[in-house]
Amino acid sequence: MTIGRVTQSMLTDRSLSRLQGSLSRLSELQEHLSTGRVLNRPSDNPADAASAMRLRSAVGAQQQYARNAEDGMGWLDTLDSTLGTAGDLVRRAREVGQQAVSGAASQDTREALAVEIEQLRSSLVGTANTTYLDRPVLGGTTAGTAAFAEAGGVVTYAGDANPVNRAVAEGVVVDVAVAGPGAFGPDGDNTFDHLTALAAAIRGGSTTAIQSGLDALEVDGSRLVVARTDVGARSSRVEQAGIRAGDTELSLTNALSEIENTDLPLATVELKMQEVAYQAALAATSRVLQPSLLDFLR
Amino acid sequence: MSGTFGSIGSAASALRYHQSVMEVASGNIANVSTDGYARRRVVGVSVGAPVQPAMWSRYDGQGEGVRIGSVDRLVDPLLDARARREHGAQSYLDTRAAALARVEASLGEPAGDGISKALADVRNAWHDLGNSPDSPAVRATVISTSRTLVDAVAAQRRNVESEEADQRMSLLADLGETNTLAADLAAANEAVAAAKLGGNDPSSLLDKRDLMAMRLAELTGGTAVENGQGGLDVTVGGVALVSGSKAGALAVTAGINPDGTSDGQPLALSLTPPGGAATAVSGLRGEIGGAAELLTTTLPGLRDEITAIAQQLADTVNAVHQSGYDATGAAGQQFFAVDPAAEGGPLVLLVDDAADIAASGIGGGANRDGGNATAIASALATPERSYQRFVTVFGTDVASVRRLADTQLTLTSQVDGAREQLSGVNLDEETVTMMQAQRAYEAAARVMTTLDSVLDTLINRTGLVR
Repeated sequence: MTIGRVTQSMLTDRSLSRLQGSLSRLSELQEHLSTGRVLNRPSDNPADAASAMRLRSAVGAQQQYARNAEDGMGWLDTLDSTLGTAGDLVRRAREVGQQAVSGAASQDTREALAVEIEQLRSSLVGTANTTYLDRPVLGGTTAGTAAFAEAGGVVTYAGDANPVNRAVAEGVVVDVAVAGPGAFGPDGDNTFDHLTALAAAIRGGSTTAIQSGLDALEVDGSRLVVARTDVGARSSRVEQAGIRAGDTELSLTNALSEIENTDLPLATVELKMQEVAYQAALAATSRVLQPSLLDFLR
Repeated sequence: MSGTFGSIGSAASALRYHQSVMEVASGNIANVSTDGYARRRVVGVSVGAPVQPAMWSRYDGQGEGVRIGSVDRLVDPLLDARARREHGAQSYLDTRAAALARVEASLGEPAGDGISKALADVRNAWHDLGNSPDSPAVRATVISTSRTLVDAVAAQRRNVESEEADQRMSLLADLGETNTLAADLAAANEAVAAAKLGGNDPSSLLDKRDLMAMRLAELTGGTAVENGQGGLDVTVGGVALVSGSKAGALAVTAGINPDGTSDGQPLALSLTPPGGAATAVSGLRGEIGGAAELLTTTLPGLRDEITAIAQQLADTVNAVHQSGYDATGAAGQQFFAVDPAAEGGPLVLLVDDAADIAASGIGGGANRDGGNATAIASALATPERSYQRFVTVFGTDVASVRRLADTQLTLTSQVDGAREQLSGVNLDEETVTMMQAQRAYEAAARVMTTLDSVLDTLINRTGLVR
């Protein structure tokens, strides 16, 4: 813009508007520094604001996935120890049965062994009804409090076959439960029935009957081992997913901070520069506005 | 050869002339910071020989001194018209930018407590419900976070609505100011015409006239054209608002009740030209144009978008919720409804009892499945993305209006600068003019003294011999 003629009010107005501009840049930098953020409203940078919102939502999702994985780990750990205990109980029952086969046991000894089998059975029923946060871990999605119900000396499955799913990553859903029959066999042919039969066989003293009971228990034991292995595999999958969710959250948070947080050294340097510029503008203004021809006339 | 006292006449005209120059300079200095004041300049004209002195005679003098040709008011009507146009555009953009910035600040995005935070909380609550569908506490959390989301959406709509109410009030106030100014400008036009007829100096009336025309342009974006009598005729939206000494009136015909509330119809403005019938006007600029645009397009558009997002949210959640089963195994009901007229709307939470939340995806009686809750949590991603898109588009709009206003400001201040260059008072210049006039006045007085002594010689000394 070519300036042909400069007037006093032009000088004043321009100085004022430039000082205003300088001051508003100062206040912008001050906002960046005091809030610690360069993105304070969507219009500051619409594209970055969009990324920031997406990243923030993704961070929230990853946090939730991590929490879901943690909850799933709780289930799987409980299942693991439950199945471990159940395996121990079944192994003990098989040892007791072996004793009944090998020793030429007396009636009293057999009775004692049979009672022990029955006790093992009742603690196995207790183990099978282990709960996690008040839910039977082997009961699927049952609304009841127990996975197995005992009525008239017969234990039947009271849960359902529905999976207990945990979303541990985008589109990744892991079933963190084992349905009762998967660990203890189907109703009418489950581990508890086998133990009852074994106790009866020991009382009866028939070696053949005891042997077939032991064979059934061996199958039961290996079913428990298979179930436990499966739980272990899922457990490591969920754990990996949880770790991945944590890692992803960290890198997303970094990206978010990159976008919306103030680069402190840069902002500080800019603030200093702006401060100097403002002071220079003030000094220049005070010098430009002062002189007038009247100062030099006598 | 002029008469003996001819030169005294010239010197007297010089004294008169330079006194006027000093008077005008002092007027300029006095008004150095007066708004709308255009500097005056005395144009001197040398008084020379008459073209035809008299029949059969000839003029052999050297001129009769100086007289005031005119006192010019240094303005450029083209530049003034340009300045009015730029100021109209500027106030239009400023009105829009200020209103949009207020709405934007109330969004509370990207990191505040806006809708996206409420949505994230709701999503987490549904996920938690998926993990423990049997926990009454988690069920209650779903209800309470959903209620917070409903409130956040309602707050968003209320913000837009209160901005609309503010704009309606300011539009009414601007209309009142416009009509008063139009009447004042018409009166000033009449006074200018009268002053010109009476041979008085209309300069200060013209200053006032230009100021009023500028303010009218800022209010309505109206264009002003000088009529033959020195007045300004203002046209708004193609219809005359001020014509000579008569003023029309701008009024709201629909959209705003006299008390500033909305009457539910789209905004319509009409202008009654002097002596004419009311004509609908649209496409105004200036503050009124900005407010009208906000009230007809921008703010209702925002409100509709918020309602559309609420609708999408409700549809998404309802679809999944109704395919699930609640705590007793009954099929899920509608979770949200959308009612733009509701008190806390547009989103309305329909489920009040935590047991009615359909967390389970498996029917046939009560169970502890949380599949449906997880499905709802995943489905929320769609409305969330819509909302993010809304915020981004809105942010882009705000940034673009702000950029336009900034660009316009450069243009406006450039035109203002050009006007100031022409019309502004420069103190140094006035001082120089004053000193020049002072010296010229002294010289003219000196001419008087010299002539006096010459005449003294002629009258008193001629023929005397010592």
